[in-house]
Amino acid sequence: MPQFFLNKRLIILLVSIIILVALIGFSLKERENLTWPEQFLKDTTGFIQNAVSSPVNYVAGFFENVEDLQNTYKENKELKKRLDELARLESEVQRLKKDNTELREILDKKDSLSEFEPKQATVIGRNPDRWHELLIINKGKNAGIEPNMAVITSKGLIGKVKSSNTFTSTVQLLSSMDPTNRISAEIQAKDQSFFGLIEGYDDKTGYLLLKRIPYDAKVEKGQNVITSGLGGVFPKSLPIGKVVDVVPDEFGLTQTAYVKPGADFYDIGHVMVVKRGALQPELMEMVDEKEEEL
Amino acid sequence: MRRFLLPLILLALFIGESIFVQITPHDLLGSEKIAVPRFLMAGLLFLTIFGSKKHGILYGLLFGLLFDIVYVEIIGIYLFLFPLIAFITTKLMKILQMNIAMASIIVLLGITLLEAGVYQMNLLIHHTDMDFAAFLSSRLVPTLILNVIFIILAVYPLKRLFEKFEASLND
Repeated sequence: MPQFFLNKRLIILLVSIIILVALIGFSLKERENLTWPEQFLKDTTGFIQNAVSSPVNYVAGFFENVEDLQNTYKENKELKKRLDELARLESEVQRLKKDNTELREILDKKDSLSEFEPKQATVIGRNPDRWHELLIINKGKNAGIEPNMAVITSKGLIGKVKSSNTFTSTVQLLSSMDPTNRISAEIQAKDQSFFGLIEGYDDKTGYLLLKRIPYDAKVEKGQNVITSGLGGVFPKSLPIGKVVDVVPDEFGLTQTAYVKPGADFYDIGHVMVVKRGALQPELMEMVDEKEEEL
Repeated sequence: MRRFLLPLILLALFIGESIFVQITPHDLLGSEKIAVPRFLMAGLLFLTIFGSKKHGILYGLLFGLLFDIVYVEIIGIYLFLFPLIAFITTKLMKILQMNIAMASIIVLLGITLLEAGVYQMNLLIHHTDMDFAAFLSSRLVPTLILNVIFIILAVYPLKRLFEKFEASLND
């Protein structure tokens, strides 16, 4: 027995395993924000990454441009076809927007769930191990970015802000396996909409899982999925993707839809962080008085 | 200047991993295959083998912590695995004869250990539900292929650099 305790290496190993478990436990618990040494380190490395990534992106962008040039002719043909339609659509949007503001004025309803304020940011880093799908962007608290804000590209929602430091923030992608990563979503059917929750991501097919759709909802392939704004964090009507397949869940009480995300989770250069225009409800306000008594 | 060269090289490898993932297409080795660059781990192990053992483990600890904080946001995974694998490498060095081919194989073994260790830890904290067979085919094999290429390219310059570093320590 005394020999066992004299073995220095074994004791070091045991102590380090204890420290390891404690540290992992500490970082896994729900944290409002990172501790200041972590924030300092992230900002410092962010500064270096920022300095390195802009010339690298410039060179990578040049090669991409050369590749684009090869497809120019074909693309141009296609785009010209769409241009005629665009003019008509634009005038219609213009008219609807005007209608909307007028009607809102009549109703005296000022804030809307779909209102948001976008902030541009550039991706300066990505987690190389790809177990945790995290991006690092070059805007932080200084630019008004706070945890839980939605992050989009021009094609759709890609994730949310996980933590924000003074000059950089970390974005958690939708493709990340995290049970707390839930988004209230809405399927736009012809004349009504169905609600569900985006919970999880299928690694193999690359589809998002939209769960808890009512069993009698007639969801069809190709319908658009947008954020519903009911989660209290994201604004309404950010595009997420399109329905690919619908299956009943294991007990037959609800349905699960497979959603093909509109945005590409890999080729991300510039993102927009979205600040919700409408007020965020406090958790305490949402809890019913009666529930509190219980 | 010479004193800062070593941390600078390791820092370049550290940031290089993130930039590599950003600019290369995600299906570099086929769709559904995930090739993870482990340049930093390879650099640390070459430092342990050709340079100083003590510095290898120490820098492993330092860059493990940095990796956890900056990229993963869960402190402990790489902080524990980097120095542990460097330590195992020092043990292996006593048994085996060291030449460039042997060193490359040991580094590859270290990367395999790291991948398996990270997979186990993620399984433990329920961050993944991938089974072991899927892990082998979709992650480990592509990762090893990618890193073999890196090792072949980097082994000579890193060897010369770290041997110079060790010589400067003995002065």
